[in-house]
Amino acid sequence: MKTRTYLAILLVIIPVQASLFSPLSLAGIKPDLAIALIYIIGLLTGPTEACLAGMAVGLVQDIGSASLLGMNATTLGLAGVGAGYLGRRVLDIASPMNVIFLASFSLMQGLVISLFLQTFYGAVPFFSLLITRLVPEAVYTGLLGTFLLRFMNRRNVMSLLMRRSLLKE
Amino acid sequence: MPGFIVRHAKLFILLALFLVMFWLVTFQVKAGRLTFMEGPVLAISGFFERVFTAPFRFVGSAANHYVFLVRTSRENDRLKQELDRLRLENSITNELLIENERLREVLGFAKLRPLSSVMAQVIAKDSSPSSRTMIVDHGTTHGIEKDMAVITAAGVVGKVQTSLPGTAKVLLLTDPGSTLAVRVQRNREEGLLEGKLDRCALKYVSYYADIQEGDLLVTSGLDGIYPKGLPVATVVKVSKHEATAFQTVIAKPAVGLSRLEEVLVLTK
Repeated sequence: MKTRTYLAILLVIIPVQASLFSPLSLAGIKPDLAIALIYIIGLLTGPTEACLAGMAVGLVQDIGSASLLGMNATTLGLAGVGAGYLGRRVLDIASPMNVIFLASFSLMQGLVISLFLQTFYGAVPFFSLLITRLVPEAVYTGLLGTFLLRFMNRRNVMSLLMRRSLLKE
Repeated sequence: MPGFIVRHAKLFILLALFLVMFWLVTFQVKAGRLTFMEGPVLAISGFFERVFTAPFRFVGSAANHYVFLVRTSRENDRLKQELDRLRLENSITNELLIENERLREVLGFAKLRPLSSVMAQVIAKDSSPSSRTMIVDHGTTHGIEKDMAVITAAGVVGKVQTSLPGTAKVLLLTDPGSTLAVRVQRNREEGLLEGKLDRCALKYVSYYADIQEGDLLVTSGLDGIYPKGLPVATVVKVSKHEATAFQTVIAKPAVGLSRLEEVLVLTK
């Protein structure tokens, strides 16, 4: 991806997720733009670039919210690696399987965070969190991410976001 | 060996980065959260959030004030009735307050300080899956400072974590980093309420303490942030384990945190 695309993502990821996505909220559940973006970057670029992008976006999220510094950076970095390998070996942008894979990535991220909190702080109501928050959020994120992928899978949008060398590939 | 490292340099760099991140997270579990670069990031995101939400707020306000006037008359009647009821309640409460002040004076207790507050609009919520925060459109210019209590008529919302001119970040009571001194309203049992993403958990409650589902938890005032007696959460699950000296109590916040639009920040 172009450097300016990454800069724009880092600059607006928090405001877009926190304010523009609020009207999309259904019963308090809203899609997670950060993991959807990292998944898309992974499919388009590869594991290394997606991992670094995931870490950078995660760090900005950690600083901008009240998370422990490095928590989202780690989970989004891992998601970037996973999506990068999927893009290289298994999936293409147009595959409908992206809904399932992206939802699984989102669910995994939620589970890792919950397990971490349970391990270090205890008393997390794991089952209720899974049913009422993590699963609906993962499905919603999967659908949103696939919609974004469809939108980006147009030549003019791609050329706006991607480096020329990657477009040739 | 060096050839292997050079061939897989990218992989080793990524592994090293992950190790640094993991160390950073575990370090903060012991030492407390690092607040590196928080001010600049809040300033930039707060600016964009105000810009992004301005059209929605404008349209919402215009719709409420000029377009949806159909139910205004009915709403007016309902509000008049509500006002009469609240006036009556207020006069009774004032009587009780005067009596309370008089009795405090007789007993030699310190005088109650009146609360002052600033109303702020919520412009952004939940920017990360591992925390629960929101951004409001008022900050230091309106007298809002770090660690001030944030409430609504229904109860406690959280406390101010960072405040800048024109914007402030509020740590919701469901955030994993939030702790709050509370008391069970029914029997005055005390405990520490910790955020657990969507719910809260009451910690350090004795195994033998009488806590039941449906009990209301109110602020105890012991943390010096929240005034005493504000509703915080309702107990939804109590489980006792023979192996520990404490019981696990899960509570649901009294305020619907996902639907908040305006909040009060207690400035005194």
